[in-house]
Amino acid sequence: MRWTSRDTRSLGIGLAYLAPSLILFAAFVFIPLAQSIYLSFFNTRATGVATTFAGLDHYLELLTSPAFRTGLLATTLFALYTVPVGIALGLVLAVMLNQRLRAINVFRTMMSSTIAISAAVGALIWLLLLNPSLGLLNYILSLVGVHGPDWLIQPTSAIIAVSLTTIWLTLGTNIIVLLAGLQGVPEEIYEAARLDGARGLRMFTRITMPMVSPSLFFLLVVDTIAVLQAFTQIHLLTRGGPVDATRVLVYSIYQDAFQNFQFGYASAQAVILLLLVMALTLIQFRFVERRVHYQ
Amino acid sequence: MRKFLGIALALTMVASACGGSAPGGSDSAALAPSKDVTPAATITWWHAMSGVNGDALNKIVAGFNSSQSKIKVETVFQGNYDDLLAKLNTAIASNAAPALVQVYDIGQRYMYDSAQVVPMQAFIDRDKFDTKDFEPAVINYYKYQDKLQSMPFNASTPMLYYNKDAFKEVGLDPAKPPVTFTEIADAAKKLTKKDASGTTVRFGFGPSIYGWLFEQLMATSGQLYADNGNGRDNRATKVVYNNAAGKAILDWWKAGVDGGYFFNPGIDNDGAANAFNAQKTAMYIESTARLRGHITTVAGKFDIGTGLYPRPDSKPKEGGNIIGGASLYIMKSRPPAEQQAAWEFVKYAMTPAVQGQWQSDTGYYPIVKAAYDTGPSKEWSTKYPQFLTAITAIRDSPQNRMTNGAVIGVMPQARMRVNKMIESVLLGQATSQAALDAAVTEMNAAIDKYNKANP
Amino acid sequence: MSVRLVLTYALLVVGSIIVAFPLLIALSYSLMSESEIATFPPPLLTTRPTLNNYADVLDTIPIGRYLLNSFIVSTAVVAGQLITASLAAYAFSFLVFRGRQALFFVFLSTLMIPWEATIIPNYMTIRTIGWLDTYQGLAVPFMATAFGTFLLRQAFLQIPRELWDAARIDGASSFRFLVSTVIPLSRPILGTVAIYGFLSTYNQYFWPLLITNQTLMRTTQVGIAQLRFEETLRFGLVMAGVVMVAVPTLALLVLGQRQLVRGLTAGAVKG
Repeated sequence: MRWTSRDTRSLGIGLAYLAPSLILFAAFVFIPLAQSIYLSFFNTRATGVATTFAGLDHYLELLTSPAFRTGLLATTLFALYTVPVGIALGLVLAVMLNQRLRAINVFRTMMSSTIAISAAVGALIWLLLLNPSLGLLNYILSLVGVHGPDWLIQPTSAIIAVSLTTIWLTLGTNIIVLLAGLQGVPEEIYEAARLDGARGLRMFTRITMPMVSPSLFFLLVVDTIAVLQAFTQIHLLTRGGPVDATRVLVYSIYQDAFQNFQFGYASAQAVILLLLVMALTLIQFRFVERRVHYQ
Repeated sequence: MRKFLGIALALTMVASACGGSAPGGSDSAALAPSKDVTPAATITWWHAMSGVNGDALNKIVAGFNSSQSKIKVETVFQGNYDDLLAKLNTAIASNAAPALVQVYDIGQRYMYDSAQVVPMQAFIDRDKFDTKDFEPAVINYYKYQDKLQSMPFNASTPMLYYNKDAFKEVGLDPAKPPVTFTEIADAAKKLTKKDASGTTVRFGFGPSIYGWLFEQLMATSGQLYADNGNGRDNRATKVVYNNAAGKAILDWWKAGVDGGYFFNPGIDNDGAANAFNAQKTAMYIESTARLRGHITTVAGKFDIGTGLYPRPDSKPKEGGNIIGGASLYIMKSRPPAEQQAAWEFVKYAMTPAVQGQWQSDTGYYPIVKAAYDTGPSKEWSTKYPQFLTAITAIRDSPQNRMTNGAVIGVMPQARMRVNKMIESVLLGQATSQAALDAAVTEMNAAIDKYNKANP
Repeated sequence: MSVRLVLTYALLVVGSIIVAFPLLIALSYSLMSESEIATFPPPLLTTRPTLNNYADVLDTIPIGRYLLNSFIVSTAVVAGQLITASLAAYAFSFLVFRGRQALFFVFLSTLMIPWEATIIPNYMTIRTIGWLDTYQGLAVPFMATAFGTFLLRQAFLQIPRELWDAARIDGASSFRFLVSTVIPLSRPILGTVAIYGFLSTYNQYFWPLLITNQTLMRTTQVGIAQLRFEETLRFGLVMAGVVMVAVPTLALLVLGQRQLVRGLTAGAVKG
C-alpha cells in the first residue's frame, strides 16, 4: 500500500500522543542502552572511560568463561525454583481467598501484604531468619522436629534461600493478579459446569485454570522478567556466593561494573542479558500464549 | 584587579622557586597549592563511618568547625567502604568528586592509579609537617615508593577475641589465650560443647570467611601476598599465596570445620560477631574496631578477652600484623582553595587531643603516639585494657614488606576471590592446593588486565 | 457453624500468619534490645519490650525527611506516569495510524532492558544537566511506563466502540473524547497504575543511592540501608527502621487493595 498524506497526518497525530513517553524512553532507556552497547566493544579504565577497541573480545571471553556458564546455571535454577512455585502458591491462596466470607478482606490484605514490601526490606527480614549465626528459621523448624540446612552456607540451599525470599516478595502481586482473574470469571460458567456434573478438582482443572490462564500467563511473563533482574535480595543475602552459587547474570554485571570497575566487560554481559530476556519473552509469547484462553 | 595581580605574581614566584629545587623531597611539594592560597569556605568530606564511629567522626568535624571561622567541613555518609568507592569512581568519571574522601586500606593502588589525588606528601613537604611521632606501621602502609599518598585516619588490626568465662569453665587459663594454629585447635576442641541430643551448643572457634583475615594470616606467617615486594617496590604482576603457608592455613581451617569444633558463619562478619556475643562461639578473630561494640552488647554477661592474632606453630620472626582501616585523600579535581582547606582539616584531625578522643570513642588506635598521653586515651586504656592488645601487636610486628601489606589495583576483587576460595575448601568442593591455584590463576589474569588497562 | 466453615477459617488464619510471619518477626525484633537478640537459642517474642530502637533510628537518620522525599518523588512519578501512559495507551487503542504495531513493540522492549545497561550513562546525563541531588533527577527518568501503558491499553479496549463512534459523529476531537469519556470511565485502572507506580518508586534503592550525595535528599530505602553499620549489625535497630519504612506502603495497600483488584479485573488481565 502506498503511503498517502493521510497516513502522514494520522502518524503525526499518533506520535503527538506518544511523544512524552517516547522522548523519556529515548533519553533514559534507548540512548543509554546504545552507549552501553558501544562501551561493550571497548576496553575501559576504572573510571569507565573507553581506552582501546576490543571488538568482540569481551563477548568471546564471556562465552568461553566457566564463570559465565556458572552464572547462566545459577540464573536458570533461580528462575526455575522461583517462578512456577510462586505462581502455583499464589493460585492456591487466591482460590482460598476467592470466597464470600465474613472478614475475607482482612485475610486478603494480610496475604497480599508482601506487595508493599521492597526487596531491600524483605531481604533484611529474611537475613534475620536465614542468618547462620542467629538461625531463627532453623530454630523454629527445630521446634517441630525439622533440621534445617545451613541456608546461606551451602550452595544448594543458598539458591533455595534466595528463591524463598523472592517467592515471598512476589506472593503479594501473584495473589492480587490471580484474585482479580478469578473474580472476573462469570458465575454462570461455574453453574453450567456444575449442572454438567463437574466437582472439586475437575472443576479446577477444566474450568478455573483455563479461565484464569490470561492472568497466569501475565504473571509468567512479568515474574520471569522480574526474577531475571533480581539484584537486591542476592546482594543482601549472599553477595553471589557461596562459591558463586547465586551469582546470577545481573549480580555478576553489578560486580564487574561496581566492584571490579570493568565497565566494558560488564556492558557486554548486560547486552547478553538483554538478548536472553527478549528471547525468553518471545518464546513465552509464541509457545505458551497459544494455550491461554481469552474470553 | 591589583590584588589579583599581586597574588598571581606571588604564585609565579613561589612556583618557580619550587620548580627548580633539588631532587628528593620538595618535588612533590609542587603538587600542592601554594601556601598563600586562601582556603575555601566550605568543603565536603565523604566517609563510611556510621553508628558510634559516625558520631565520633561528626564530633571531630564539629570541633574543627567551631574552633575557627574560616573553613566549614560538611560530612556526607556514603554507605560502607565498598559503596563509597563505587560512588567515588562514578563521581570521578563525571567530575563530581568531593575535596576530601575516606577510602579503605585496599583502595590504595586504585586511588594512586586514578591520578586524581594530591599526594599528602606534597603538603607535608611544602609545610615541613612533622610526621616523626606518627605510628611507623601505619605510615609505612600508606606510603608508596616512600611518598605518603594519603593521611591515615582510622587504624585497626585484627586480634583474637575469646570468652574468659568459657575458658575458666573448661579449665583453660583465661590469662593465656592460644596463639598458634595448634594451640587454637586444641583450645577449640576443649571449648566445644554439645547437648544431650548431640547438637553443638557452643563451638570453640568461629572465624568468618573474610579475605582480610586470610591476608593477615599470610602476614603472621611471614609471607608475601603479591610479588614485587607486595606490589610496593614496583607494580604487582601476580599473587603468590598458593604456597605451603597458604595451604597450611586452609588445611587448619578445614580440619576445624570438619572436626566440628570450628563454626562456619559464612561470609557474614556481623554474624560471626553476633555468634560470639550470643556465646555460640567461644573464640573468633576480627578487627579491634569491633571491641567497643562487643563490650556494649555483651553488657557484662561474660568477660571478653583479647589475644594476639593466630600464627603458624613456628611463629616466624618476620611475621606480624598488617594495619587495616582507612585513610583520607585530597582530590585533585577540586580547586586549590578547597585542597588547602582539606589540608587544614587533616592537620587538625592529627592533633594528639583529637586522636586521643577518637580512640576512646571508637576503638581505632591513634595515628599519633602523643595521643596516648591525653586524658581520654589514658582513661580508655585503663578501663579497657583489651584494647592495648591491638597496638602492642602492631608495635611488636617487624616492619617489612610482608607486614606492610599488599598493594594491588584489583585488591577489592582479590579479597572477594579469596572468600570464594575458602568457601570451596570448607564445602569440600576443592582441595586446599587446587583452590589456592585456581584463585591465583584467576587473579593473575585480572591483575594482567588491570595493568594493561591502566598503563 | 459447619465444620467446613471452621476448617476454611482455620486454613485462612494459618495461611495468613505464615505469609505475614516475616513482618511479624520484624515487628517483634524491633522491640528487642541488642543484648536480648544476642542470645542462643534466638528469641521469638520479647520479654522486655523497648522503644529504644525506634528512638535510635530517629537519632541516627532523619527518617522524617526521607519519608517526605520518597513521598514527593513517588507522587511526582505517579502524576507523570498517569499523563504519559494515558496519552500513549489512548493512541494504541483508539487511534489508527501506520507504524502503530511497530511503535507498540518499541514500548514493549523497554520492559526487557536491564537497568545495569542504562544506569551509568543515565548518571552521566543527570550530572551533566545539573540534576544531581534534585527531585527532578529522582523522578523524571521514571515518568514514562510501558507497563502502565499496557494496563491502560487493555482497559481502554474494553470501552464500547459505540461511544467512540457517537463522539466522532458529534464532531468531537480525539483529545476531547479522551478527556471527557475515556478517563472518567477508567478510574479503577488509573488507580491501579497509580498504586503500582507509587510502590515501585518508593521501593527504589540503587538509583537514589547513585544520584543523591546530600543526606537531606535521600529516600527511605537508601536511608534504612544506612542503618547497617560497617562494624556491627544491630538487628533491633534495622528492624525498627524496616517497620517505619514499610508502614506507609502497608497503609496504602490496606486502603487501595480493593481498588487494585477491581482495577485489574476491569479487563486488564482478561486479554
